[in-house]
Amino acid sequence: MPSANVNTKKAVRSKRKSKSKAKPMTKLEMVQKMLADQKFIREAIQSGVTFEELRDKYGYKFATV
Amino acid sequence: MGTSLQPYKFIIFKPNYYSFVTASGVEYICYFTPYAEYFKKYPATISSKFYAFNLELADKKLKPKGVDIRIADTVITIVGDFLNSQINAVVYICDNSDGREAARYRKFLSWFDYYSHPSHQILQVSGDFEVGGIKLYTALLVHKKNKLKKRLIEAYIDLIDYDEDEK
Repeated sequence: MPSANVNTKKAVRSKRKSKSKAKPMTKLEMVQKMLADQKFIREAIQSGVTFEELRDKYGYKFATV
Repeated sequence: MGTSLQPYKFIIFKPNYYSFVTASGVEYICYFTPYAEYFKKYPATISSKFYAFNLELADKKLKPKGVDIRIADTVITIVGDFLNSQINAVVYICDNSDGREAARYRKFLSWFDYYSHPSHQILQVSGDFEVGGIKLYTALLVHKKNKLKKRLIEAYIDLIDYDEDEK
């Protein structure tokens, strides 16, 4: 993993809302979210954010490998 | 550039991701994220099986030059290992942040067309669709022996089968 300093300006994503409160997404919202999450994780990794931080701080989940 | 049809050695960083470094010193990170939230109309027995595959440069300043065929072999090995459980399915969404998503799509499809998983057991279904002016290039990979493959493929096709009325 890169050891660069975390760009805190980029890492502004808040934790996800609980599932029970989330309303169903439209196809457009789905696509936007897929791309936004992908972009956020990519930029976070390249800024030195760890997977643990992505999980604990930003609420992302990853498959166990 | 790599010339051997051998995957690069990759490191598994438990529990989250894979990493490998090419002959030219470029490091890649691979990981899988759950995609159940996009298959909510399906029971958990189906939706929970979907994962997105992501391949990222660890350092965006270190960009690969030329064609390195061993990257494809490495990715196929990693995805193949993930699918070997015969339980999960993998969705690949092409990054569109730099306008090169179509080229990325063709490359990814060719990897899984040209090569075969060592056991020749990966099925690939691909599709692109446009919604709200966004063109999305995607592919589904699933193990041939996955008992839910038919339902997983149907759910994926439903996802990419965009209908204007759903907007």
